Amino acid sequence: MSLIELKDVSKLYGFGDATSVALDEVNLAIEQGECVAVMGPSGSGKSTLMNVIGLLDRPTHGDYHLNTQKVSRLSANQRARYRRDRIGFIFQSFNLLPRLTALDNVALPLLYKGMSIGKRNRKAWDMLERVGLGDRAYYLPRQLSGGQAQSVAIARALVNNPQLIIADEPTGNLDSNSSRLVMELLSEIHKTGNTVIFVTHNPELTRYATRVVYMQDGAIKYDEQTKLGQVGRYARQVMYAVPETTEEDDLAGVSAIMPVLDKRAAAEKVKRTRTTKRKKTARNRKAASK
Amino acid sequence: MSLSRDNFRLAYRSLKAAKARSFLTMLGIIIGVSAVIMVVCIGQGLKQQIAGQLGRYGQNILSVTPGPSSTSGFGTVTGMSGTNSSLLTNNDLITVESTPGVAEAVPLATASGSMTGDHTVSSPFIVATNANFPDIINQSFSSGGFFDSNYGSRTVVLGANIAQKLFNNNAPLGQTLTWRGQQFLVAGVYNIFNAPPFSVESNFDNAVFVPYTSAQQVSGNTLGIYQILARSSNVTQTLHVVAAVRSALVNAHGGSNDVTVTRASDSNGASNQTIHLLTMLVAGAAIIALVVGGVGIMDVMLVSVTERMQEIGLRKAIGATNRQIMRQFVAEAFVLSVLGALAGVVIAVAGVGLLRAYTSIQAILVWQVMVFAPLIAVAVGVFFGSMPALKAARKDPIDALRYE
Repeated sequence: MSLIELKDVSKLYGFGDATSVALDEVNLAIEQGECVAVMGPSGSGKSTLMNVIGLLDRPTHGDYHLNTQKVSRLSANQRARYRRDRIGFIFQSFNLLPRLTALDNVALPLLYKGMSIGKRNRKAWDMLERVGLGDRAYYLPRQLSGGQAQSVAIARALVNNPQLIIADEPTGNLDSNSSRLVMELLSEIHKTGNTVIFVTHNPELTRYATRVVYMQDGAIKYDEQTKLGQVGRYARQVMYAVPETTEEDDLAGVSAIMPVLDKRAAAEKVKRTRTTKRKKTARNRKAASK
Repeated sequence: MSLSRDNFRLAYRSLKAAKARSFLTMLGIIIGVSAVIMVVCIGQGLKQQIAGQLGRYGQNILSVTPGPSSTSGFGTVTGMSGTNSSLLTNNDLITVESTPGVAEAVPLATASGSMTGDHTVSSPFIVATNANFPDIINQSFSSGGFFDSNYGSRTVVLGANIAQKLFNNNAPLGQTLTWRGQQFLVAGVYNIFNAPPFSVESNFDNAVFVPYTSAQQVSGNTLGIYQILARSSNVTQTLHVVAAVRSALVNAHGGSNDVTVTRASDSNGASNQTIHLLTMLVAGAAIIALVVGGVGIMDVMLVSVTERMQEIGLRKAIGATNRQIMRQFVAEAFVLSVLGALAGVVIAVAGVGLLRAYTSIQAILVWQVMVFAPLIAVAVGVFFGSMPALKAARKDPIDALRYE
């Protein structure tokens, strides 16, 4: 069985007319040792998917098995313990505690495990050395560059030896040099056998992934295996595709261009039958313009 | 819930990082604790001062004051009831003296007029009494002794303060002072009376003691007596003597019950009780201050929880359980209230020291209140601090992480 198995997982927010669907019956299986890049426009449900997989959030419907164990209905404290022991988080804004030194930040997850202070510091120190920041152990986060801060965050995510690393846009706040540094660290972690899932808007970074998942409107739209070092095919297509537009399209407006992409996608093996509201309005407008 | 050393280390660090906020939070506790301790210490000091006076009076001293005894449970404060009724007379003194069981009686009357020694005091407190006064009120002399028949009738005894005013630092003993054109020889000077405020003796430091008969001659009229102190010959019979004196005086006054006769130590007990009650009242107010301090902790902790929402979210994301978050904030409240309570104790001790050094209030450090006030403060602080802590602990990790 896979490390991660999502079955018909949905996440709804709000009630009544204000209900919004963040995840729409997602099915996803991730094996041990994969490095998955998750792409998609803002609001497509990437972060919600990360939160559900990372046990920060509970799905409204559906089952989630982590390591063959059903975890979709665990209590808050049980999930906290899972997060502590099996999952490492890396955030876009680093989320280091500003008043703690790099060393203390890295040691934090061990504190909640109940480890003694000497052991904690030794492990945290080793981890800082591993990300190349052994000489910055007593720096405060504000004294570190963005890349260094994210490296500290990676060390913190790794310090508990988690099976799964979840990074929600780890390079979103970084320049390209720092991004490369951080991604190198992540791919090193991947090479040592960890499972890594990261969200990115930058198709270039799918080079580090063995699999690219593209999301839209809360569902997985494309899902492809790639070789390390290659940009995902659909990632590239989606980000760079310039659809041909006709006079009709101009009349219908920008929204009408979207089905062009959809048609191309439909040619591939995408199983997606749900008609979005956006598509409907586009079709109606097209009909009206004729 | 057990709090580990890590919790306290973390709490101390985050409190140190926000010094101003931590201090403001503690302020309520500091004020509450120091107020409670100081009020109780001052009250205890007053009680002990009264107890000291009680020892001086002894159990065998009767007090006769004009005016019927008040119906309230605490009696009258001796010496203060003479204002609203006629004063006692020389006949009353004779009646008291001649009552069986009374060994001796001393009148206390006031006279007026300026006195001149090296300096002039325009309206000194002049107490006209007789030579038995030292038998009733034990008080040491810094020089000389009380007047008696050996000295003749034109002698006076001075309280410590008035001696200073009349003669500066020159030894007053053996000098003369002038009162209403008459020369008086200073026979003795008292040491400072260790008396509580509002008691009969509180003014004796400012008093010039004059022989009753001389005072009457010099004043040229009959002096009203505001209090007669009498000594019963047998301590165990004192209460019977009190009753006997009362009935003798009522008889002498033609049956009207217009005097108060008590055992002097009893009326001290009454004022003792009054002070006890006052202490309780003010201490109660101070305890309310303590609770308000607790509410202050709650307020600031709530703000702190809101400010640190992201931190809470992150801690939960990396595996802190609700209980661990709760512990952290309870530990902060605990450290805040312990530090506040300790500061309160230090301030109270300093305050008591200053009072003793610079005022006549001889406050006494009461260890019970110095232990219990901080304990209550810490309990209050932790209690009120745990509500925001609970709020922090129950926060959903994602909501907390996203909180701006």
